[in-house]
Amino acid sequence: MSGLLLNRNKIRHFIQLTSYNTTFKTGISLLLIIVLTAIFAPLLATHDPYTLGDVMLEMPGKNHILGTDGMGRDVYSMIIYGTRTSLVIGIVTAIISAVIGVLVGAFSGYYGGKPDQIISEAINVFLMLPTFFLILIIVALFGSSMFNVMLVIGLTSWPGNARLMRVQAMSLRSRTFVMSAIAMGETKSQIVLRYIIPNGIFPVIANTTMGIGGAILTEAALSFLGLGDPNVISWGQMVYQGKAYLTSGWWVSTFSGLAIVVIVLVFYLIGDGLDSILNPKLRKSH
Amino acid sequence: MRYYVAKRLLTGFMVVMIVIVLTFLLVHIAPGDPIRILAGKDNPSPEMIKALQQKYGLDKPIYIQLISYMKNLAKGDLGTSILHNQPVSKMIMDRMGPTILLALTGAVLAVVLGTLLGLYAARYNGTKIDAVLSYISYFFYSMPSFWLGLMLILIFASWLKILPTSGMVNLRAPSKGIGYVLDVLKHLVLPVLTLTLIQIPIYFKIFKSSIMQVMTEDFVTTFKATGMDEKIIFKRYIFKNAILPTITVFGINLAYIVAGAALIETVFSWPGTGRLMLDAIMRRDYPLLMAIYLIMSVSIAVVMIVVDIIYAYVDPRIRYQ
Repeated sequence: MSGLLLNRNKIRHFIQLTSYNTTFKTGISLLLIIVLTAIFAPLLATHDPYTLGDVMLEMPGKNHILGTDGMGRDVYSMIIYGTRTSLVIGIVTAIISAVIGVLVGAFSGYYGGKPDQIISEAINVFLMLPTFFLILIIVALFGSSMFNVMLVIGLTSWPGNARLMRVQAMSLRSRTFVMSAIAMGETKSQIVLRYIIPNGIFPVIANTTMGIGGAILTEAALSFLGLGDPNVISWGQMVYQGKAYLTSGWWVSTFSGLAIVVIVLVFYLIGDGLDSILNPKLRKSH
Repeated sequence: MRYYVAKRLLTGFMVVMIVIVLTFLLVHIAPGDPIRILAGKDNPSPEMIKALQQKYGLDKPIYIQLISYMKNLAKGDLGTSILHNQPVSKMIMDRMGPTILLALTGAVLAVVLGTLLGLYAARYNGTKIDAVLSYISYFFYSMPSFWLGLMLILIFASWLKILPTSGMVNLRAPSKGIGYVLDVLKHLVLPVLTLTLIQIPIYFKIFKSSIMQVMTEDFVTTFKATGMDEKIIFKRYIFKNAILPTITVFGINLAYIVAGAALIETVFSWPGTGRLMLDAIMRRDYPLLMAIYLIMSVSIAVVMIVVDIIYAYVDPRIRYQ
């Protein structure tokens, strides 16, 4: 009970703090626009992004706001639909990485002892691996479906979250409300799930939000190298295809790349905002 | 301290072992027939299959293959490239120079400029200048490096026509002497600019927040209370404490030099190790792929451990944890 109470107060306090943070508010408003774009993509798009048009590499103008690509597809409509791909990849990846990171970190930090030593050593080892190339190798060898890409990015990005959660669990372990839960006879896993995780998850949330931007960039990079899912429209792939006619059709790469910048920026603003809201040392300066 | 060093070394050793086993397993359980890839065609003759199987020991169980792979590694034999039929180690050495030239120049420029800008923003914290710098840095931080590279090519090479689009040398330029150096420098500008612009925000953010953090420490308040000159406090105490995180990040970035800026190398057709790795992955040159990944991981582990040890040496709070 006390654990949940503490958490509710924390949330109220948190909402109060967010209203002072412009970075966070800007990020959230922009994210709302992006989410609405993804939902209402069919209404916003002027053409079917999958239909090959007759006019290839048409300059941005009346017929096509942002021009057409090398296969005559409408760039603007492709960018609108690409929002869906980016959001799905970013969010699914973040969930995979957060769930694994939180569970591993919370249990390891709360239980302590030998298992914790082994797990924290494993986290250290994972953090030293050159992840981007590992993702590349796996996707290149095992296929580049969107499912594979999300799974691989998620499975390689959890150690950072685990490390954050572990530190939280270690400090929460000796707090009074956890002690009283132990005294009341709750099992260890109940304590971890009901007290440790809800109270220690905030830094993980901030980190995960920034991780969404990172995951979107990773997917874009894979697509740029020709390792994206060929069946979906993705901004990284548009940049990759536009590269072939950079001089004759500069608009294809330029606008799709700008879309990547905007979405990554939005998640970065939210993450950074959360970070300064949650870190009292940074908060003082505002 | 000795215990700390031993512990870090053990972690590094674990990283290397895991990388060896992981890449080996990934390559061996990947779908697709390695023989066909090794032969370089779809229908190899039965004799060819047998010869290749024996040469690479593919007819033996997987753990025996792993052991023989490790034995070769221990002897310093990284393998032979399938596609180029050359020792892998020689191929990597050939590509190391251009990568170091590109990545080191970019990293040094970024750390210097990023730190200076961070310092400037911290000095004017809360003012308009700080806000503008922060937003610009957010913008560049969110940028895919390959896209920035393409945009720079578009502006400086296609439109303004003042810089070359790709490669490291112009075949028509002199191949030695001052002409050669100038030619390489000309080709170096855009990739280095891309790499620098992408990395500046990291150093900017780290140094700024580090200064802000150190300024709230008690010892700074004490010095101020004793009436010490603020400039001296800054130079002697704040700067020295605040630069530590920058050094760590710089160390880690240096470690990634072998990985290079693979994407940037691709955009600019720069003949470095990063692009060699990408080629190896795309064309499934397994020995080359495994070797580069291993070298990359080893160098990252080594540099990270060295940075950690230096750090622990400088800051006693870490080694007594």
